[in-house]
Amino acid sequence: MARVLSVVALLAFAVVGQAVSPSTFVTSQDRARLKSVFEAAAPYPDTQSAYFSISGLKLLGAAIPNAQDACKQISKVIDGGNVASIYYAATAASALGNCKIEVPELRKTLTDAIKDDASVQDIVFAYLALKNLGLPVDDASTNKALLAALKTDDSPQSHGYAFLAAAELSGDVSKFVDNIEDVIAQADEVDDKYLQFEGGLFVTSLVVDGAYRLAEKTKKAPAVAQDKVLKFTNYFLSRKHVHQLKSAYHFLSVIKILTTNKFHVPVAVSRASPVAVTQAEPSVKVYVTDLLGGSLGEMTVTAESARHLGDDAVVLSKKQFTPVASDKSLFELNFLEAKPAKGFYKLTINVVPKKADPKLIGITGAEVEVKVTTKVSVENVEIGVADKDQATAAKTTRLVYPNKATNVLEADHHQKIVMKFQLKDKTTGQLLTAHQTFIRLTNLNTKEEIIFITEADTTLTNKFDLDVGASSKEFDSLSGKYSMELIVGDAVIENPFSWHLTDVSLTFPEGGETKPDKQSQYAKKPEIKHKFNEPEKRPPATVSLAFTGLVLLPLLILLILWIRIGVNVSNFPLSLSAVGFHVCLGAIFALYYCYWVQLNMFQTLRWLGIIAIPTFIFGNRLLSALASKRALWIAPVSVVEPVHFAIQSDHKRSRKHK
Amino acid sequence: MPEKLTNVIIKFYDEYMQTTPKKLKIIDAYLLYVLLTGIIQFIYCCLVGTYPFNSFLSGFISTVGSFILAVCLRLQSNPQNKAEFTGISPERSFADFIFAHVILHLVVINFIG
Repeated sequence: MARVLSVVALLAFAVVGQAVSPSTFVTSQDRARLKSVFEAAAPYPDTQSAYFSISGLKLLGAAIPNAQDACKQISKVIDGGNVASIYYAATAASALGNCKIEVPELRKTLTDAIKDDASVQDIVFAYLALKNLGLPVDDASTNKALLAALKTDDSPQSHGYAFLAAAELSGDVSKFVDNIEDVIAQADEVDDKYLQFEGGLFVTSLVVDGAYRLAEKTKKAPAVAQDKVLKFTNYFLSRKHVHQLKSAYHFLSVIKILTTNKFHVPVAVSRASPVAVTQAEPSVKVYVTDLLGGSLGEMTVTAESARHLGDDAVVLSKKQFTPVASDKSLFELNFLEAKPAKGFYKLTINVVPKKADPKLIGITGAEVEVKVTTKVSVENVEIGVADKDQATAAKTTRLVYPNKATNVLEADHHQKIVMKFQLKDKTTGQLLTAHQTFIRLTNLNTKEEIIFITEADTTLTNKFDLDVGASSKEFDSLSGKYSMELIVGDAVIENPFSWHLTDVSLTFPEGGETKPDKQSQYAKKPEIKHKFNEPEKRPPATVSLAFTGLVLLPLLILLILWIRIGVNVSNFPLSLSAVGFHVCLGAIFALYYCYWVQLNMFQTLRWLGIIAIPTFIFGNRLLSALASKRALWIAPVSVVEPVHFAIQSDHKRSRKHK
Repeated sequence: MPEKLTNVIIKFYDEYMQTTPKKLKIIDAYLLYVLLTGIIQFIYCCLVGTYPFNSFLSGFISTVGSFILAVCLRLQSNPQNKAEFTGISPERSFADFIFAHVILHLVVINFIG
């Protein structure tokens, strides 16, 4: 059996080579923090917190403040009818030492709890409480009751409690030991790195704690593969920042057992120096300790390899760390001796104890990350202004860090600002690129910042072209003076800098689009007013007048013609009707003139109606007089009827007219 | 040819002067006057433009309307057309002419702006 186990262990060892070894441990700060958690629990509200607090402090090796007061408090808060309460009180009391708990009914409560149909937790608590109180207990019946209870409840938690009890039981506990492998197999793996049980830190620590305690008793390594131990350890260490009393106690308890047990003691290889390896601090320092930060004796610590995380270049192999004289667990290696390029490296470290110790696990393949940083200088800085459309070389100025250019650069929207520079590794003298190279332009008036990125070409020359016209949007077309700064930064650059290169005066075209004010879209719009058609330009007055005269000219011709034809004006009858008729006609046309100048249609029609009546009467009488005169001359007989007819139709018309 | 044309024109003129009654000659003179006025208005419109259009239009309508009314008067007054206009005396047609003018110029003035 032992042979098989050792073969399994050896195989596991080979696999563990790849498993992640713990890279941290419980440092003195962690201890102080945990101590403060335990101390803060007093005064104890119940026996459970008293137990966690007192046991936790004891595990830390710290003194329990006011031990007698604590003992009295426990006696006060104990519940004699509750198995768990008695268990916690009894264990805390025994941890305190010199503390006697006297509750009349507790003995009965405890012995009654150990029976076949009780829960695993109660049986274990009752059994351990009786043990701690120094009272007689029947191991055989406890064993039997536990196995019976486990049949109904086989959760990892119950098994964890059972292991704790079994570690104290006399007699045959092989059934519990056989359970260890099965229970461990139920743990869930997370990220190939952690192993934990459902229920978290409490259940996981309970199971691992119990398993190792039981192993101590049987003096046989627990059936847990070494890589699993490392994964459990990683899980516990990932939870080292716990703040709850219960979790803190369980964490400390399981770390303690993983440090002190005789079978598996994980080795923690953790970086002691800052992550950055610089010229000033060229060495990588590592602690090689157990989980509580204790020294593991003399060791040979070897850096198997150091691999660049970017290009996988291996810069060193099998390089031995030298022990630091002041601290037995501290080892250092001058990493820069290998002349690594800047960047991130992963160091793989193997640990070999001087005196072979099979219980140490996780001694190969520990990984430590470091970065090699470097200082940069900025070289060949040229800045100038060029015309946008011409590719001819611009007039440039050379600048030297950290000086500022003496004169102000001036550029308008037909031009562009051209700048180039190179970054050089100060140690190797090689050109390099940085993650962050920015040009920041700050308006000196508004303090508004506009940031541009510069890009490196294949020759590792960083270039920056600012087309002033095309980028007017970024600047809100705000002409004025801007300060121009170069900002260079990178994770592996030790001396990131911001260099005020020069001031530039930028001129943008006027009336560039102004930012629409958010408020203005709700503001009052200008009132819409009706606009009449703009009158066209009239012809000059002389032209109009000339044509007015020209229009009147035919009138003259008419008069001349009439005179030549011989109009008989002397024949004008000087009767009332003739004069009245002509006056009325004249009045009508005068009315039309008034209508044109000032009257409206209704007024005009009213007046027209008034004038029309005398006009009609006079006209009728005048024309009938003329007709009758003519009829007398030509044909006296045939005259009457037409005139009569004419008068009638005139009648009709004038009615219509009105 | 031009001689013949002038002959024709002279003969036409003589005949007109001799045979046309005096009243018709007066109306013809009036027609000539209206025609010339209309032509001058048209020339103005071609040279300067129609703006303001309503004024031009009312003036032109006035001349055209007057011309048409005068032609009607002449037709009705012509003794040769007497057979066609039986029952319409020259006085009646003159009254019509005056009445139509009053209406026409009311519209013209309304339109002139």
